[in-house]
Amino acid sequence: MSLTLKSTLKAGVVIAVAATPLVLAAQSSETTAPGTLEALLADDRTLFNATIETTVPDDDLLELGRLVAMGGADNGGSGMACITCHGGQGEGDGSGTFPRLAGLPGWYSYKQLNDYASGDRPNQVMTGIAQRLTDREREAVAVYYAVVQSPVIGPRGTADQGQMQWGGQLAAVGNAEKGIPACVNCHGPQGTGNPPSVPYLAGQYANYMTYQLELWKDGVRKNDAMDVMSTIARKMTREDMEAVSEYYYRVYNPLTTAKDR
Amino acid sequence: MPDITLPKIDVVIVGGGWTGLTVAYELAHAGQRCVVLERGGHRHDATSFAGPEEHDELKYAIRHEHMIDVKQNTLTFRNGRDQRALPMRRLGSFLPGEGLGGAGIHWNGQIWRPLPSDLQMRSHYEDRYGAQFIPDDLNVQDWGVTYDELEPHLDFFERICGTAGYAGNLNGEQRAGGNVHEGPRRNEYPNPPMKQPIGPTLFGEAAARMGLNPFPMPSANVTAAYENPYGAQLHPCTYCGFCERFGCGYFAKADPIICVYDRIKEHENFEIRFRSTVLRIDKAADGQTATGVTYINAEGREVFQPADVVCMNAYGLWNVHLMLLSGLGTPYDPATGSGTVGRNYAYQTLAGVNVFFDEEIVTNPFMGAGALGTVIDDYNGDNFDHADLGFLGGAYVAATQYHGRPISYQPVPEGTPSWGAEWKRAVRENYLHHVGIGVHGSSMATPENFLDLDPTWTDAFGRPLLRMTFNFPENDRRMTDWVMQRAVEVARNMDNVRSVSSSNRAASGNDYSIVPYQTTHNTGGAVIGTDPATSVVNRYGQMWDHHNVFVFGACLFPQNLGYNPTGPLMGLAYWTLEHLKNEYLNNARPLMDA
Amino acid sequence: MLYSRRSVLAGLGAIGTAALTPPRHAFARIDDRPFFFFTDDEARFLALICDTLIPEDEFPSASQAGVVDYIDLQMAGPYGRGARLYMQPPFAEGTASQGYQLPLVPAQLIRQGLADLADRDDGALRRDAAARKAALTQLSAGDPAALQGHGSTFFDELWKLTNEGFFADPIHGGNADYAGWNMVGFPGAHAYYQSFVDKFNVPYPKPPMGINHKPGGDGAMPRPLRQREG
Repeated sequence: MSLTLKSTLKAGVVIAVAATPLVLAAQSSETTAPGTLEALLADDRTLFNATIETTVPDDDLLELGRLVAMGGADNGGSGMACITCHGGQGEGDGSGTFPRLAGLPGWYSYKQLNDYASGDRPNQVMTGIAQRLTDREREAVAVYYAVVQSPVIGPRGTADQGQMQWGGQLAAVGNAEKGIPACVNCHGPQGTGNPPSVPYLAGQYANYMTYQLELWKDGVRKNDAMDVMSTIARKMTREDMEAVSEYYYRVYNPLTTAKDR
Repeated sequence: MPDITLPKIDVVIVGGGWTGLTVAYELAHAGQRCVVLERGGHRHDATSFAGPEEHDELKYAIRHEHMIDVKQNTLTFRNGRDQRALPMRRLGSFLPGEGLGGAGIHWNGQIWRPLPSDLQMRSHYEDRYGAQFIPDDLNVQDWGVTYDELEPHLDFFERICGTAGYAGNLNGEQRAGGNVHEGPRRNEYPNPPMKQPIGPTLFGEAAARMGLNPFPMPSANVTAAYENPYGAQLHPCTYCGFCERFGCGYFAKADPIICVYDRIKEHENFEIRFRSTVLRIDKAADGQTATGVTYINAEGREVFQPADVVCMNAYGLWNVHLMLLSGLGTPYDPATGSGTVGRNYAYQTLAGVNVFFDEEIVTNPFMGAGALGTVIDDYNGDNFDHADLGFLGGAYVAATQYHGRPISYQPVPEGTPSWGAEWKRAVRENYLHHVGIGVHGSSMATPENFLDLDPTWTDAFGRPLLRMTFNFPENDRRMTDWVMQRAVEVARNMDNVRSVSSSNRAASGNDYSIVPYQTTHNTGGAVIGTDPATSVVNRYGQMWDHHNVFVFGACLFPQNLGYNPTGPLMGLAYWTLEHLKNEYLNNARPLMDA
Repeated sequence: MLYSRRSVLAGLGAIGTAALTPPRHAFARIDDRPFFFFTDDEARFLALICDTLIPEDEFPSASQAGVVDYIDLQMAGPYGRGARLYMQPPFAEGTASQGYQLPLVPAQLIRQGLADLADRDDGALRRDAAARKAALTQLSAGDPAALQGHGSTFFDELWKLTNEGFFADPIHGGNADYAGWNMVGFPGAHAYYQSFVDKFNVPYPKPPMGINHKPGGDGAMPRPLRQREG
């Protein structure tokens, strides 16, 4: 019987940081050069995605973000480089232990870092990391990842068709009997999210998303902007959670996935 | 003869909307076996109203896909008895609903209370202004129920809906920022008010500068994650601007499905039958009671459902229609003035002010909700001195931001051509720089405005259509004219205003038309009261003529208030239920002497 | 040769050629399909009329935005055939307050109205923009010679359909490339404004997205997958 993610983290053992992450061929330790990222800002939608309140991304902010991601921030940094776990292009490490960050709305990532720091979102690893970043650094790294694009790693093997159908159904129309609203209402068309406050689901790791739903259901995580995820997750069974997560993992997300490497 | 006769049940409920599902919930929990008969089909917020497919202005707001199909059921209309009534061949002025939840699905979500003086309109006006003040040609009546008696029920419904607002009169304490004119309420609203965009905010600021009392519109588009007394979960409103005329996939607009139906559907005493159209209510031989209802079921068979109690919970107009078709009570005859069923039909009297801002003000009108706006109630009801004005009643005045849906929302300054190059330019130059102020006025009942059966046209089941005879009374024309001028004064006082224009639907010379949408607030026809000569039901909502028939909805209103009717009618519904449960069920009899 | 809408409208002549040059033209997308309801001639005539109601300026005209497509689909579909219209006889003339009382479903009304307009025309309407404008003005005012006195009913329906076609979600065939939504600044069907509604006087920066929006796309209905010949 394998350790579940939950039991692992509760035991205080921080896996995959000290140990070598599961590196698949696609992961790179190189970050995207600022020049390339700035070019992406020319697209209205990307600019909107990256804007945090009144912070309009510019070259300096992107460069700072990249530095923070590589572990080289001014403040002495967190001692940690984001890329170690979250990948050079924000694609994660393939295991699903660490979520994809590429293309998440800037405001959303910034909020998560603040919530980690304050404890509003409990996480033994991220809290320490976030606390050691200054406010400017949190903004910068959030904006950086908002602009970055990378291919999705995995999934491997064939999907269970019944599960795909059930997950797709929940995603598109929810479930009347259980009173579960459709994910698409808030998480956008094809799960591409609704910046600034709603993250995308398409292309995010399935096991990560299932785990988050469990945390909402248990009341451990309750930091969503509209305070609706707990009530929704409480209506879901484990099977519902896995179905919708496995479904969305396989949905192509053109907003966050680079067309060419 | 019916094809099928079913075993008798305790309560049969005609209609699966706000009142029908609520009656079923309360009576099922009181041990009564209830069956709801709904003409339309099943639907649910999760599956039927999920965005983005739901956010289709053409399909739902213009083609009316959530509302009744006039091919199945419509009515005929004329302005006066000197005309021939003709069918309403397309929906226009009002949009009744159909299906689970009825019009409660596509409503705006505005929740109001009647003023204490509204419920005793005749006594109050005569006391204050003298016995001669009310003209003979206005059938103004007291409801027979007081505000204090209704208060706990109005409060309960506000909590069922998670109403978002700020109390203006909390147990007698007046609070600025709320409606200081309202009757006293025992509880603060269950949720904080909605966030007001710039248009309504500027209106509120101007009103406050003028010594008026602006407040955020009370809203059933909830503002925080909320659990209602029945255990239903509602989610915060996203200001998506696809609110009224649409169902809410976010579970943010309180509706009968999420607030009530989901919480009762598994109960052993509850059953609902869809695609079941009630043809008539059947009377006992001695005419004192109803024996049950006859309906056409989903397979097209005629079914008789006997019951101890019959509850009429269809949309107000159709309750009256059903009474007329079934021979319940005595139909009103305007020639003689006798009879009460169909008498005192009223509507809502509207005017509007368009405010155009300069370029600095960007309103983003598409960020809207059905109950989003800032209101002043200083010109509603009898909140102001009517002595020298020559009319009764009043209106709320509100700068609202319901939606910016581009087919319907094309505000242009007065004098703009209605099509062509200039029109096109004006539409785009004003889209982001406008706010509308609505004057939402009361509607008095007159002997000439009434409902009866049409002699010529029929519905899909071959039954005579309801016939509506209505025009704006002079009283209401004067009232809206006066309040509209007050609204224009506020508009002219607002910051950053480039131009103001106004129009009164009920201006002198404008006949009421069923073509342009106004409100889905049709009231009266089965009026509540203490005198059987002028009412159809007694003060407990029980028919004078048939003591096991209880009636719900805005058809009970003797005249219409300057407010949306859902709040008051649900307050009445809970009031009726209290007496039905506690006094009628254990001893079936008339609860009031005639 | 495949029946092509673009080729049909190419018969418009001098008027409207500007509309046809860019590949963004609405008709390019559903070029494979003939009109469902209108004949070629009706469609050409309708395009001229609609472009008088919503002419080209810095923003597309009605036909450039796909309004003719939209109206064609509406007429061919349930709406044109009289869905949600009570059609029980008898029919009688009513007052303005009593609304629509003609024994015609929208498809009949539009077809007959266009034919009536074309029949009473000596060619001026097809040649001359000013003549079209004058004719429509007269029609909307209730020209007694038009459609046996029901010209204004026809005009109202035509204008309503044109307006809808310009601004409805692109899945209905019009509002091509979000022409109407871009013009006014309406963001569309993906509407989630909780964190924006109290930002005063800040223009909303997100470009429009319709119900069927694909990133980089225009939200139109899916195109048929047939090969194009010729």
